[in-house]
Amino acid sequence: MNISTLAIHGGLTGDGSSGATAVPIVQTVSYAYDTAQEIADVFAGKAPGYIYTRIANPTTTALELRLAELEDGIGCVATSSGMAAIASVVMGLVKTGDEIIAASGMFAGTVSLFKSTLGRFAVKTTFVDSADVKQFTKAISGKTKLIFVEAIGNPRMDVPDIPAVAEIAHRANIPLIVDNTVTTPVLIKPGRFGADIVVHSTSKFINGHGTAIGGAIIDTGNYNWKTGVFEDISKSCEGAGRLAFLAHLRNLIYRDLGGCAAPMNSFLMLQGLETLAGRMAKHCESAEKLAQFLRGHPKVSWVNYPGLEDNEFHSRTAKLFDGRGGGLLTFGLGERDKAFRFIDSVKLAKNLANLGDTRTLVIHPCSTIFHEFSPYEQKQMAVTEDMVRVSVGLEDFEDIRDDFAQAIETSCGD
Amino acid sequence: MNLIVNGNETNVDGELTVNELLTEQNVKMPEMVSVELNGQILRRSEFESTKLNEGDAVEFLYFMGGGHASERATD
Repeated sequence: MNISTLAIHGGLTGDGSSGATAVPIVQTVSYAYDTAQEIADVFAGKAPGYIYTRIANPTTTALELRLAELEDGIGCVATSSGMAAIASVVMGLVKTGDEIIAASGMFAGTVSLFKSTLGRFAVKTTFVDSADVKQFTKAISGKTKLIFVEAIGNPRMDVPDIPAVAEIAHRANIPLIVDNTVTTPVLIKPGRFGADIVVHSTSKFINGHGTAIGGAIIDTGNYNWKTGVFEDISKSCEGAGRLAFLAHLRNLIYRDLGGCAAPMNSFLMLQGLETLAGRMAKHCESAEKLAQFLRGHPKVSWVNYPGLEDNEFHSRTAKLFDGRGGGLLTFGLGERDKAFRFIDSVKLAKNLANLGDTRTLVIHPCSTIFHEFSPYEQKQMAVTEDMVRVSVGLEDFEDIRDDFAQAIETSCGD
Repeated sequence: MNLIVNGNETNVDGELTVNELLTEQNVKMPEMVSVELNGQILRRSEFESTKLNEGDAVEFLYFMGGGHASERATD
């Protein structure tokens, strides 16, 4: 099946007993068994079954199976948020004294997790410029346990050479984790380019309507956990085979951290998934048109969108994303004050901290999402004082363009 | 045909697909099971089309419970 079909029909669909086409919301904490022996067998792993929604839930299972199919993975664990997904994956792989290599210019929440929270447990992260793959090789030490990149860096808008970075990771026998939130499996299935684990904030394009927080972890099946550098995970290969990492999460890390997906949210993600492919096509089309409009505008200082032909990552979007540049772009009006006035002047677009919504969204990253970082750190992450980030929505392009045109005139008027 | 199912030598009648083996072996909650065939995880979409061959090693795996992750734990 192709991606639009899979997004609707993949994994578990509907409810066999009633004929309902939507996946039922199983809004329960726990699951009753007839006998003490039956529940004991499930706890011991001797029989399959649901125990407690913190560990697994039927609505969430339907989401997990569909996401695994969409990413061409061997399995998935859905989480309460994208950050819960990243935290679970990374804490499932690193121990005190270990090291991470990550691209700079990524989502501030991920940078903060790596730098501050994991730093408290003596896990060191080296941030590298993903445009220069040699920096990944240079940063690897005997303590490095994983490489983490975003398929399109938010807000740097860089596109790492995923096949080259995967090769570097695999030469060191460590996994490459790719955050596919901004691109979704519609633009790229990172596993096909060598990524070992894919993570998502499903709150963004997958949900698509700004109605629920969620995340997901997909094992692409590329990394051999049996011969990998993670002793405790290779031990669990005995019972779990190729699913060892996901079992390690489900039975330990995810279970213990408690970042489970809410059944209602899993339902909303499934509903969003059904239209993902069509929405992504429109997001990409309008983002490219808006990038071209902004580039041609005399009062706009710069535009950063990988789908533009003269963008340094344009050829990579052709190689990795089938020529599509995604629904996100950044641009500058030269000064912080102008950026503020622009945001104050848009009428259609919403000023809020999210992306991937039906609505066009704008934000000033420097004073919001990245406010806790020093000017030096912001510079390293390519966040500038005049930057406006735009998540291009599904409104008619002409209306988005007219809104931006009037807001630029208002904010940059003489 | 002789197969190794969850580590046990198993004899089945005639040719079987993975889906048919799931039914034949009375696997509980088949919608939840992952199948490893000769060390490789099968995509769910391949269950129906994948025919088993003499000597194949098949593992039914779950990672949804509280403890272990394999049907092998029933041994």
